Order: sequence, then C-alpha cells, then structure tokens
Amino acid sequence: MPRPAISSDVFRAVADETRRAMLDRLREEELPVLALAEDFDLSLPAISQHLRVLKEAGLVADRQEGRQRMYRLTPRPLTEIFEWVSHYEDFWRGRLSALRRHLKEKS
Amino acid sequence: MSTELRFVEEYPYPPDRVWRALTTAEAIADWLMPNNFEPRVGHRFEMRTKPAPGFDGIVKCEVTVLDPPKQLAFTWRGGGLDTVATFTLEPIDTGTRLTLVHSGFKGMKGWMVSKILGGGWRSKILRVYLPAAVGRIGPGGRYTAATLANQVSCSHE
Repeated sequence: MPRPAISSDVFRAVADETRRAMLDRLREEELPVLALAEDFDLSLPAISQHLRVLKEAGLVADRQEGRQRMYRLTPRPLTEIFEWVSHYEDFWRGRLSALRRHLKEKS
Repeated sequence: MSTELRFVEEYPYPPDRVWRALTTAEAIADWLMPNNFEPRVGHRFEMRTKPAPGFDGIVKCEVTVLDPPKQLAFTWRGGGLDTVATFTLEPIDTGTRLTLVHSGFKGMKGWMVSKILGGGWRSKILRVYLPAAVGRIGPGGRYTAATLANQVSCSHE
C-alpha cells in the first residue's frame, strides 16, 4: 500500500487557523511583518513565531527591504495538500465506478 | 467557500434500481465496504475497511435522510473525520443522474478542501506545481479507504 509523501511540517503549518488566514492574506500581496501584525492584531513576537513555522514548511519566503522584512507566499508545498484532496477524490471516483460495475452485473 | 467534494455520475438504469444498490447492505458491501446498513432514519451502522495508523478501520455512520428513490444521507465519522455523505438521484432520459456530495470538512481539512476546490488555487497548482508532484504518485495506483485513512491520520487534527 503506497503511503503518499506528506510532510508533517506543511500539515502543522496549516493546522493553525491564524496561519491559514496569514497564507490567505499573503496570497494577495507581499507584506512586511509590521503590516501582518497589525492585520491580525498580534504582537510582533507572536506573528514572527507564526512566520517561522510557515517558513520552515516552505510556505513563505522573506527578503530584507530597507529596514523592513517582507514576506511572500511560496505555495509549492501546497501540492501535498492537493494530493491529500486528490486521494479523496480518487477514493470516491473508484467507489462510484464500482457502483457502475455492480449495477451492470446485478441488473 | 466550498468545503465539499461533489461528484456527478450518470447510470443507464432507472432510479429504483440505483436506489436499491445504495440502500441494501449486500449491495453496499459490493461497491463500497462491508457494513450493517439498514434503510431507516436514525439507524447507526458501521463500515469496515483495513485499519491504518490512527484509524481503526471503522467508519461510523448514521442514516439522516432516506427519501426513496431520491435522496440518501448518512454521517461519515472516523479517522479524524466528522462529515456527511449525501446521494441524490434524478431520473433522466438515459437512466439516473447520481450526485454525491461529501461535506462537513471543518477546520484545517475544510480549508484544504476549499483551497483546492475553490478560489483558483487549484488551477495555479495544476499549472505550476503539480508536474513536480506527479512523479511521486505511483503509476496506476488505486487508493483504497485504508490509504485514505492513512492520509487523514497524519493530518494532526
């Protein structure tokens, strides 16, 4: 039974509601830490901690711009999530095909 | 935001025939999983598959809608999921159109389903990122409920 490659980091990163909201926000535009902290009404250490988890999962990247650190979304690791949903879809598609076979054989 | 999986199939048999396949324990065992289903609202039943880490292999269900031959719904709980499966039948010229909706994904799983199925992430992921991931999926691999549960069990929720 093949066990799909799933990085626990990505799941850990998106398990938190605030971090999911941060990903949604960063999907719109690149933002400095301060703006994110304001958007989410969080302290700088708290927002930095969330960003660290997202960065370790490869979901965001940062760069220095003047005195600000800018964060942007790097969604490639979300392909693992895509696979999670795809397997679900495959499961039901397989079952619905089995239903078709069942109907054919028993009719 | 869409947090449900939806499938539409057309079968060349009348709704009564498809309804029987959806609401008879023996038939369900043939196309879905071994079970102790009974066609009665409020009936609790279990479907059994191969256990996997974090999943005892039992899907716990309760019939919530039974409207022959139009709609069947039951809860789908187990392996960290608390969801609902709804089957809706419509007569069409060529037989029956079956719509299956698997809904109720909450929290992280709801977000994952909605990210993928709505909001354009899917198209970007398909276009840009998926080619890299395809290599990791085994050739012609069919995924069973046990594999599925495996995935669910590593989701930390």
